[in-house]
Amino acid sequence: MPLLAPLFLLAIAAVGIPLLVHLVQREKRDPIEFPSLMFLERTPAPFTARRHLRDPWLFLLRALAIIALALAFARPVFGRRAVPGSADVRRREVVVLLDRSFSMRVGNRWQRARTTVDSVIKSLGTGDRMTLVAFDRRANALTAATGDADQLRAALDSVSLTDESTRLAPAITVAQQRLAASDAPRKLLVMVSDFQRSSWDLTDDARMPPSTEIAPRDVAGDTPILDRAVRSIEVRPDRRPGPAHVIVSARIANIGPAARGVSVRLDVGGRSLESRTLDLPSDGSASVNFAAIPVPPDPVAARVVLEADAVPGDNAFHFLLNQSPVLPVLIIESRAGPYLARALAIGDAPRFDVASRTPARASTADLAGRRIVVLADGAFPTGIGAARLMRFVTDGGGLLVALSEQLNPRLWPASARALIPGEIRTPTDRGGVSGAVLGEMDAQHPALALLSGSRAGDLAAARFFKYRGIDTTSGVLARFDDGTAALTEHLVGKGRVLTFGSSLDGIWNDLPRQPAFLPLMQQLTRYAAGWRDTPRWFDVGASLRPSDLSIDATANAERWIAVAPSGRRTTISSSRSTTTLELNEAGVHALRPGGSPGARPILVAANIAPPELDFASFDVLRLTNALSSSVNATAPERLVDEETPTDREARQSTWWYLLLAAVLLLIAEGVVARRSRTSTVAMQ
Amino acid sequence: MSDRLTMDPATLARIGNLELVARWVVEGFISGLHLSPHLGFSTDFAEHRPYVPGDDVRHVDWRVYARTERTYLKTYEADTNTNFTVLLDVSASMGFAHGGITKLAYAKLLAATLAWFSRRQRDRVGVVTFADDIREIVPPAARHLPNVLHVLERATAGGTGTLVRPLAKIAQSQPRRGIFVLLSDLYEPAADVLRALGPLTGAGHDVIVIQLLDAAERTFPFDDATTFRDVESGARLPVSPAKVRARYIAAMDAHVTAMRAKLSGGRIDYSLVSTSQPLDRVLFDVLLRREFLRTAV
Repeated sequence: MPLLAPLFLLAIAAVGIPLLVHLVQREKRDPIEFPSLMFLERTPAPFTARRHLRDPWLFLLRALAIIALALAFARPVFGRRAVPGSADVRRREVVVLLDRSFSMRVGNRWQRARTTVDSVIKSLGTGDRMTLVAFDRRANALTAATGDADQLRAALDSVSLTDESTRLAPAITVAQQRLAASDAPRKLLVMVSDFQRSSWDLTDDARMPPSTEIAPRDVAGDTPILDRAVRSIEVRPDRRPGPAHVIVSARIANIGPAARGVSVRLDVGGRSLESRTLDLPSDGSASVNFAAIPVPPDPVAARVVLEADAVPGDNAFHFLLNQSPVLPVLIIESRAGPYLARALAIGDAPRFDVASRTPARASTADLAGRRIVVLADGAFPTGIGAARLMRFVTDGGGLLVALSEQLNPRLWPASARALIPGEIRTPTDRGGVSGAVLGEMDAQHPALALLSGSRAGDLAAARFFKYRGIDTTSGVLARFDDGTAALTEHLVGKGRVLTFGSSLDGIWNDLPRQPAFLPLMQQLTRYAAGWRDTPRWFDVGASLRPSDLSIDATANAERWIAVAPSGRRTTISSSRSTTTLELNEAGVHALRPGGSPGARPILVAANIAPPELDFASFDVLRLTNALSSSVNATAPERLVDEETPTDREARQSTWWYLLLAAVLLLIAEGVVARRSRTSTVAMQ
Repeated sequence: MSDRLTMDPATLARIGNLELVARWVVEGFISGLHLSPHLGFSTDFAEHRPYVPGDDVRHVDWRVYARTERTYLKTYEADTNTNFTVLLDVSASMGFAHGGITKLAYAKLLAATLAWFSRRQRDRVGVVTFADDIREIVPPAARHLPNVLHVLERATAGGTGTLVRPLAKIAQSQPRRGIFVLLSDLYEPAADVLRALGPLTGAGHDVIVIQLLDAAERTFPFDDATTFRDVESGARLPVSPAKVRARYIAAMDAHVTAMRAKLSGGRIDYSLVSTSQPLDRVLFDVLLRREFLRTAV
C-alpha cells in the first residue's frame, strides 16, 4: 500500500503515550476521602509498569484512534482497487521514452527524468508491461516489454547521458512499433524529455495507435539557463611572410547576463599556449583571437577552453591543427593557358599542387603522386600512353577532359576509348549569335552543388560559342541550351572521369572570365580526384568511414581500432557489424589501423552539435497533438489512473474513512472514559 | 418472609421524608410478621410455667431444664412505658458512601424506623446525636416521635467521633432503665467500645449496638494508587490498594470479629449491618436476634 506521506506513520509511536498512561501506576491527584485510616498502611505508589493494562478497552480505543489518525495523514493510496474493472481490462502497455541527450545535463533535468521514470515503474499494476527506451538522435529499447520492476529499474540505472543531439522521430518510431504490437486494451506513451525545439523532426506519420494516451513529462523546469559555450572556431592562415602560421579565433556565446573578464584558453597538443579574457554581452556572443601559432607538420589536437559554468560539456571546443592538405594535379595541354593553373593555385582547402606538361612531354613519371590528370585541351598524352593512363584511372585517379580544338577523337588509342563517355561530335559553332548557354544543370550533384550558392557566381552567364556534343545518355551533369551534353561523368575502374564539352582556355567560350570559373574548376578537380575534405572537427553524431579520413595507403586497412575520448575502444571492420566510426562523444577520437600499433593515429575532433546547444523548447501540447490519433485527439480516453485529479483523489480517498474512523473512535473513547470516570468518582 | 424484605435503602433515602419512610417500613414489616408474634423490643421476663404440648419449643428455658430436668417456658409481658433511645453517631466517618447512600443516611432511616416501631409499641422514644460530644438530644417521651424524626432529618456528618464522653453523659442523664440503640461505624478498638458502653450497661440499660459499614469498607475495592484522607482527622496516607487490600480486609474482619466477641461477652446485642442491606431485612434481623437473645436468657 503506497503512502503519499509515509513520515506521518511515525505518529503511530504516539500509541506509547496511552500505553504509558495505562501501564504506569501513578498516584491520583485528588485524595480519596475514607472513614478511617486505622487499617491502612502507607504504601507509596511506585512508578513502575503494571503487569496488566488498566482500562484495556479505553486503551484500545485510544490506540486505534491514534493509529487511524496517523494512517489518515499518511494518505494511503489504493491504485488498483479504486477503479472498477478486471485486471485484464485494465492491463496497460506502457512505453517510456527517456531523453538522454546532451541537453539533459542542464541543471537537475536528468535527476528529475530518472525520478519520473521511477514513478512510472512504481505505478505499474498487475498485468501492466513497460518498455524503457532511451533516445538521443537514436533510440534504443533497453528492455523488452516487462512488468518486472527490478528489471526496469536495472535498465534505468544503466542509462547514462550522452553528448548526442536529440531527435524525436526514431524514439517515436520505436514507441509506435511497441504499442502497435501490443494487444493490451490500454496503451500509454510517456515521454520524458526537455523537449528541445531542435529535436522536432516528426512527420504526419508520427501517430500512436488508437487508445494510446500521450503523457509528455517536461523536465526542463522553469529555471533560466545560464550558459557560456564555445560555439565555433576559425583557423585561418597567417599571411605574413615566414614559416606557415595560423590564427585561431573562437566565438563565445553567452546565455544570461553580461559577464566581464571571462577567461578563454587555447590548448594545442595538450599544452596551454595562451589565455585571453574577454567581456561577454548579455545573451550575445563575442570573438577572441589568439596569437598566430606555427602550423605543426602533423595533425595535433587542439581546443579552446572556457572557464567552467553550470552547463558542462560545451565549455571546450575541440579541433585539429594541421597544414592544409595538398591535392597534386597534373595539367596536360598543348599550350599553357593562363586560366586553369591560376584558378587552381588560389585554392587552399585543399592546396593544389599543379604540374603542367604538354601531351608529348608528359611521362609516366609525372603521374607519380598525382591524384588527377587534367587534359585541358583534350590532346591525348602520348608521352604517358594509353595503358598507363588507363591504369592510373582504374586505380582511382581522376581525369578531367576538356573537349577543345586540339581533341581529335580519332587519335585516341582504342585502349583508352573507355575514358571517353561516348561518341564525340564535331564542334558546334554558335558564334553567329550570342552563343550558347548552359540550359540545364544538376545543381544537387556534388560536382556542381558548390555553384548553387548565392555567392558562387552564375554559371549560366557564361557564353559558349563553340562546343562538342557528347552522345551519352547517362552521367550528364549539365547540358547546353540545345540539349547537348555539356558535362558528363562516368567511372572507369575506381577512377572518375569528367568530360567537359568545351575548352578551358577562353577561346571557345568566355567561361574563364566568369566568376564561376574558379570555384567550378576547383570543385571539378576535387570531385574528379575523389577528394574529400577532412574538417577540423565534426559534430557529435557523425558516422565516418576510416577511408574517408585517410589519404594514404592505410586507407585500405581492413580493421581499425577507434579510441574514444572516454577511453572506450571500438573495432571497426568491414566484416563486423561496426563498419563506421561513430562520433558519440565530444573530444578527440583516435583511429589506428589494426595490427599497426606503432602507426600514427588519425585524429578526429568532435563537438556538441550546435542545435543541441539551443535549449529553447516547444510546447508539449504540440507533441500531444502530433502523436495522438484523430479519435484520441477529439475524444481522449482516460486510461491512466493517476493522470486525472478525480481519479487521483478517488484513489487517495481512504484517508477520509480513516479520519472518520478516528473521530468515531475518539467519540467512543469519550463515552467510555466518562463512564469510567463517573464510576471512579462514585467510588470515591 | 425474607424474600419479601427488599426495601432498598437507596430508594428509601430518595423519598426524603423520614416519617413516611419509617411508617412505610414498619407497616409493611408488621404486615408480614404473622409468623413471628413474639418479636418486640420491650418484652420483660414475667414468669416460668410448665410446658404443655403445643407450646413453642423455642421458649423452653433450657437452663432450668438442665438443673431440674423439667421443661418450663419463659413468659414475657410487655412494658408499655419503656424508654427507647437511639444513639446516632454523626461523626464525619458516617458521611462515607461508596456507590450507595452514606452510612449516616442509612442510619437515619434505620433510626426512624426503629423509633416508629417502638412508638407503635407505645414506648417512649428519644434520640441523641453525637460525635465527640453530644450534639442534640431528645429525651424519651411518648410524644417525642416528631422531635426525634426532626432531629434525625437535620443531622449531618462532621467532626471527629468518640464514644466514651458522649455515652458517659447519656448514662448520667438517663437514670431510668431503658433501651439504647447505638448506630455507629465503631472505628475504635473493641475494648474501647466496650469500655465506653460500660456506664450504660452498668446502669442497667439494655444496649443494642448496630455497626454500620459500607461494603467498600469491607472489601476495599479501590484500584488506583492514591492518597487516602481520613475524613475525621484529615490525615493523609499514600496507599496502593492492590498491595494493602488483603491486609486491610483481614484487619477489618479481625476488628468486626473482635467487636462481636467483646460486645457479646458483655451481654450487649451486636449487629453488623451493611448500608446495602434492605432496611426491613435489617429490622427483621435485629428483632429476630433480640428474640433469640431473650429466649437464650
